[in-house]
Amino acid sequence: MISSSSSSSAPSSSSASASRIKLRPGPPTQARNKWRTGAQERIYGRRLVEALRSSRAGRSAAAGGARAVKEAADSALALTARGQSRWSRAILFGRFRRRKLLLKAGGKVRRRRRARPAGKFAALPHPPAALKGKKVRDRLRVLARLVPGCRKLSAPSLLEEAADYLAALEMQVKAMRTLADALSAAALSPPSPPPPAAAAPEPEN
Amino acid sequence: MSSRRSRSRRPSSSRITDDQIIDLVSKLQALLPEARRRSTDRGSAAKVLQDTCNYIRSLHQEMDGLSERLAELLATTDTTSDQAAIIRSLLM
Repeated sequence: MISSSSSSSAPSSSSASASRIKLRPGPPTQARNKWRTGAQERIYGRRLVEALRSSRAGRSAAAGGARAVKEAADSALALTARGQSRWSRAILFGRFRRRKLLLKAGGKVRRRRRARPAGKFAALPHPPAALKGKKVRDRLRVLARLVPGCRKLSAPSLLEEAADYLAALEMQVKAMRTLADALSAAALSPPSPPPPAAAAPEPEN
Repeated sequence: MSSRRSRSRRPSSSRITDDQIIDLVSKLQALLPEARRRSTDRGSAAKVLQDTCNYIRSLHQEMDGLSERLAELLATTDTTSDQAAIIRSLLM
């Protein structure tokens, strides 16, 4: 009794949503449309810039900087997802957990992948016939490792998360490439007469 | 036994039909870049999953490359006012 009820909302919501799949009109299709809108990209761009600015506040070394940029980009992406997907929550909370561990351990860094005891998940629901076979199971396992926070999901939930994550990644790559291209184009071209000492002369719209 | 009693999750897992899985897999396949070239009916689940993993991995690699590039650009570009102007123009 206790174990079934205390198995947090996570498993029940994931399999509950799996059972409700029929009612929702094609989540993965929505995933791509959701991430493709210009609005999402602008929201992400804004978050990305905020994150970059706060992370590079004193750091100019390119070596360490790449990782900081990537973390900023991932956090910004997870924020743009508004924590509605498991992978985005895993990214956001993963940061906090690591920090907390570092503070506590005071120097000894322990990476604990399993924050939850394995006993809560008795067994994954048996995948239906379409997903049997060693090859499919192996590839599902690989996929679960690639998508953050999805190692113990049932197959349908994993597929859903993967679709959303994939669409989000595409948007992320596109946004970062746009930003990098624009910055490098500006760096290469001869410096146009910089706006006179009054920073940001252009009217703020 | 306990598995049958209060766990409403168990019966729901049997409601995950093959059709739903096939549906999800085909929608995942539609997201892949190869989907535009091939006919829609190519996907065995294993192949779609493999393509998905490969695609995600390649996106990760692109991300790593872009992060490096951005880090260098942000480090070397001195004038923050230029950067601010660019960024603002991109975001508006």
